[in-house]
Amino acid sequence: MAVPAVAFVARKLLVLAVTLFAASLAVFFSRFLVPGDPARFLLRGRSPNPESLAEITRQFGLDKPAWEQYWTWVGGILQGDWGRSLSYRQDVSEVLLGRLPTTLQLVALAAVFIMVLGLLAGIAASLNRGFADRFILIALTAAGAVPPFVAAIALVAVFSVGLGWFPSFGSGDGGLDRIWHLTLPALALGLSYIAVLARVTRSSMREQMLREHVEVATSRGLGRGSVVARHVLRNALGPILTVSGVLVAGLLVSSAVIERAFGLSGIGQLLIQSIDRLDFAVVQAIVMVVVTAFVVVNTCVDLIQPLLDPRITAGTENR
Amino acid sequence: MSALLQITDFSLGLAGRKLLDGVTLEVDDGESVALVGESGSGKTLITRAALGLFPDRSQRSGTVSVRGLDTLTAGRRELLRLRREHASMIFQDPRAGINPVRTVGDFLTETLVRWHGLNRAEATAQAVEQLERLGLRRAEELVAQHPHQLSGGMLQRVMIAGALLGSPELLLCDEPTTALDVTTQAGIVALLREARQERGMGMLFVTHDLGLAASLCERVYVLRGGKVVEHGATRQVFLAPKEEYSRQLVEATPVIDPGAAPHAPELPEDAQPLVAVEGLGKHYGLRGGGTVTALEQATFRLPAGGSLGVVGESGSGKSTLARLLVGLETASEGTVQVEGSGRIGHRLRTAERRRLARDVQIVFQDPYLSLDPRIPVGQAVADVFRLHGKEGRRKAKESARELLGRVGIAAERLGDKPRMLSGGQRQRVALAKALAARPRLLVLDEATSALDVSVQAQVLELVEELREHLGLAILFVSHDLAVVSRMCSELLVMRQGRIVESGATARILADPENDYTRSLIGSYPRPLWETESLEAESAAP
Amino acid sequence: MTTLTFQLPQAGLRRYGSLLSPLAWIALAFLAAVVLLALLAPVLAPFDPDYVDLNNVLAGPGAQHLLGTDALGRDLLSRLMHGGRTSLLAPAAVVLGSTALGLLLGLAAGWSGGWAGRILGRIFDLLFSFPALLVAMLAVALFGKGLVAPILAMTVAYVPYVARLTQSLAAAERARPYVQAYRVLGFRTPWVVLCRVVPNLLPVVGAQSTLNFGYVLADLAALSFIGLGVQPPTSDWGAMIEESRGALLGGHALPAFWPALAVVLVVVAVNVLGEELSERIGGGLR
Repeated sequence: MAVPAVAFVARKLLVLAVTLFAASLAVFFSRFLVPGDPARFLLRGRSPNPESLAEITRQFGLDKPAWEQYWTWVGGILQGDWGRSLSYRQDVSEVLLGRLPTTLQLVALAAVFIMVLGLLAGIAASLNRGFADRFILIALTAAGAVPPFVAAIALVAVFSVGLGWFPSFGSGDGGLDRIWHLTLPALALGLSYIAVLARVTRSSMREQMLREHVEVATSRGLGRGSVVARHVLRNALGPILTVSGVLVAGLLVSSAVIERAFGLSGIGQLLIQSIDRLDFAVVQAIVMVVVTAFVVVNTCVDLIQPLLDPRITAGTENR
Repeated sequence: MSALLQITDFSLGLAGRKLLDGVTLEVDDGESVALVGESGSGKTLITRAALGLFPDRSQRSGTVSVRGLDTLTAGRRELLRLRREHASMIFQDPRAGINPVRTVGDFLTETLVRWHGLNRAEATAQAVEQLERLGLRRAEELVAQHPHQLSGGMLQRVMIAGALLGSPELLLCDEPTTALDVTTQAGIVALLREARQERGMGMLFVTHDLGLAASLCERVYVLRGGKVVEHGATRQVFLAPKEEYSRQLVEATPVIDPGAAPHAPELPEDAQPLVAVEGLGKHYGLRGGGTVTALEQATFRLPAGGSLGVVGESGSGKSTLARLLVGLETASEGTVQVEGSGRIGHRLRTAERRRLARDVQIVFQDPYLSLDPRIPVGQAVADVFRLHGKEGRRKAKESARELLGRVGIAAERLGDKPRMLSGGQRQRVALAKALAARPRLLVLDEATSALDVSVQAQVLELVEELREHLGLAILFVSHDLAVVSRMCSELLVMRQGRIVESGATARILADPENDYTRSLIGSYPRPLWETESLEAESAAP
Repeated sequence: MTTLTFQLPQAGLRRYGSLLSPLAWIALAFLAAVVLLALLAPVLAPFDPDYVDLNNVLAGPGAQHLLGTDALGRDLLSRLMHGGRTSLLAPAAVVLGSTALGLLLGLAAGWSGGWAGRILGRIFDLLFSFPALLVAMLAVALFGKGLVAPILAMTVAYVPYVARLTQSLAAAERARPYVQAYRVLGFRTPWVVLCRVVPNLLPVVGAQSTLNFGYVLADLAALSFIGLGVQPPTSDWGAMIEESRGALLGGHALPAFWPALAVVLVVVAVNVLGEELSERIGGGLR
């Protein structure tokens, strides 16, 4: 038992490291896709006088070979030196750290909505047949088709402008005020993902219900509640968890759109502003942060899976 | 006083189709009754009905009563009590039937803990005791393991233990040995027989295998298309069936009979063999290092027009052997010569593959997956004629029509997609497709194992007829000794990648040399009356 | 937005279904009407979509302006019809490109199996960790605002969704007895793959691509909404919503409502179609 488990964890961690390495290559060398002088590219929109060109060449090490530039960049990231922002005239890490809490709070609140509402709707749909199931499905199809930015506009129109219950702008002060300010953004962010998670929950549970072991449990006199909890939902958790992991990527990126729509100053908003202001060092850093977050979360999901389904480490998975 | 299980005039319809039609059946305390039928006969529906499990939206009439409780009208609580205290079911495939993400112990104790008022430790102790009584060693360790760590036979014992823990009066068995190897099946059958006698349970044993039914049950019901065709004492139904369908079923059921094995064709002494296999082996490298040996040191010869049966249980390497012969796998060692030309050791190029195709063809097991679902059957066969006979479109179509006619597929079915055909018809088409390449050797890889016995008998008959007519050699790979021995004059017995015995079929059946062969033959279900008379004989002196 | 590849049916694929359900027909008819209106916008649109009429701003729906006007007095119906051209054409390009590329790479990976398949699979996994919208934003950061760079970037970002699905389907089909029978019969591998296997996969891949269309449309609209995609004054549904935010906060919801409705309805229609397709296929062999 112990040996395959250790090998499994080691393999997952190795894959994590390789993926992050490859991702950093892609993010760093994407700059080289742009033809022409890299110094002028980095200084787009600013006056390319000789001093600033020399400054940018020195800062990015543009006179050195590409590989050396890469190692300097990666080495810096690992040591917490993310480079300097041109537009903020600050270290990128400082700019980022200041914005990170808002984004994390937004995503966390959205994740709570998604988990609670998505699971409930999915379970409800899977347990009911006929009209209730149909109704939930239709609602989910509709909700799933509303992109976060459209949801943001709609929620603002109804709950801020129309009813005046929630603010339409800003992230408020700490505590309850923050949650009050983040409720609409988190709902807008989560709406389509609630639909996705609910659908996966429903189909995963439906699939399990057809399994013979569920019929066996019923034939042994287990009540419906026990059967659903112990044999249907329990076995459906694996796919649900996998999908939840994949959703994280979309959640982080869509939060940029939501932050923009609600005027929240998180890293998503920062990303858009930096693209606007042609501040490439910041863009690079944020892309790397998002990709890293996604890869790490999904590695965690992979590591949890064997606890849900012991066949995975044994390598004999055929559900 | 009614019987333990009393089914009276029970009908069940679903979406306008009548699946069960006026079934009347009874099982008394301490009695074991077989319910025999082919697929679609409704036998599974009957066992489920005894527990009050019905398909959604089905229309039901009649009564199905267990200990006087009619499951058609019983309330939810009564049904739960019935399932918990009076009746238990053993399902066909224990690997599908036991929750794979929970431990074996959890499976066994979840019912005990819930309503027999035991705490977890007591329940586990009971489970361990029950497992040990069923012949599982190291039961304390087993209860902490997950199903995927156990073999199929062990898992089925776990399933049986789970059913017996509730001390049922009625035991329903739904093809409990179909997913298992023959030697494992023998152990399970013995176990069920003992458990029933010991506890005086009534048992309803559902199976498609008439031979198995005869080895276990005193009475039998023959079911067809949702109706009971015949019922009576097993011996009487088996030896003197009254109804035409029962008679066909008995005849189609393969039995091991050394006298019935075909004789080898007369051949000149110096005739060159069609196939010569020498020291053939196949090893697979595992991803974490290490190798698995699927086949080693296989050596045999097969003359033109000869018939060779390859028998073995799962993991014996028999399918690997078949796949090596047709070039779907590349051998790790040894040689295969077909018609004197050797080939091996490298993956085949298209031209070589095409040449080989005219020597060797194969028919696979699963009739649902072995035909391209999108291609009409006539075209599927015509394509082969165009490739190998270099025939034009029209000529190939004509040839396909003729060949399909030979195998019993009427001309008006040529445009049908495979899913519109029955399992037997699909296997006929697969046969025609293979024969269209005009091979000299036909490999049958469990080609009839997925078919009902009566259909299997028809397909086997067809193969025999074609073999005689075309002078084909056949290599028949199967887990079923009876089927193979009926078809082949020579036999290879395989176990764990090795050939353990080979020789003339009649000799092997009558006088096996190898212990494993002996246990394979001994495991084949034998009718109760034969074993009883044997026991009587041995007890007499 | 994140897309999902749906689970492989276990028993195999049901290839041909009967006719579509009434709901799917409605969705199809709606999509056809929208595409037609967008294509014929230059002919059918009542006004020049960029014509500014400051005397007639934020007008409600009326005889002259069927859907009303925006904050600059531009006719909303005309802008909606013209906006449909970019809003629909761009995702179509992405879906076509990613489907073709993904099919090719997925076949290569699934059919070859072995180490080549594993390496391609790893590359797909790597691409998966870059969300499409993020790749599109990175492309804008590199090549400047507009739609061309994001379209190319998203085409690449959507390749793994098609490729992974194709890979697993192809690997499964390859192990099926019917394909092995083709090999034993001596048919050429390229013929078997292209003429026999690919047609069996296409419905499934097509269902996935249909669903992808909705996701891409939403992503590109979001890109325009945050000001990085289609640039003013060109009309685009996402950009129209962005332009209407001021009016919305002032209590005029209509200018934002119409393009939002268009996005949602098109995505709903596409999803209905995609789900119908995948359900039809996922029903098993029998």
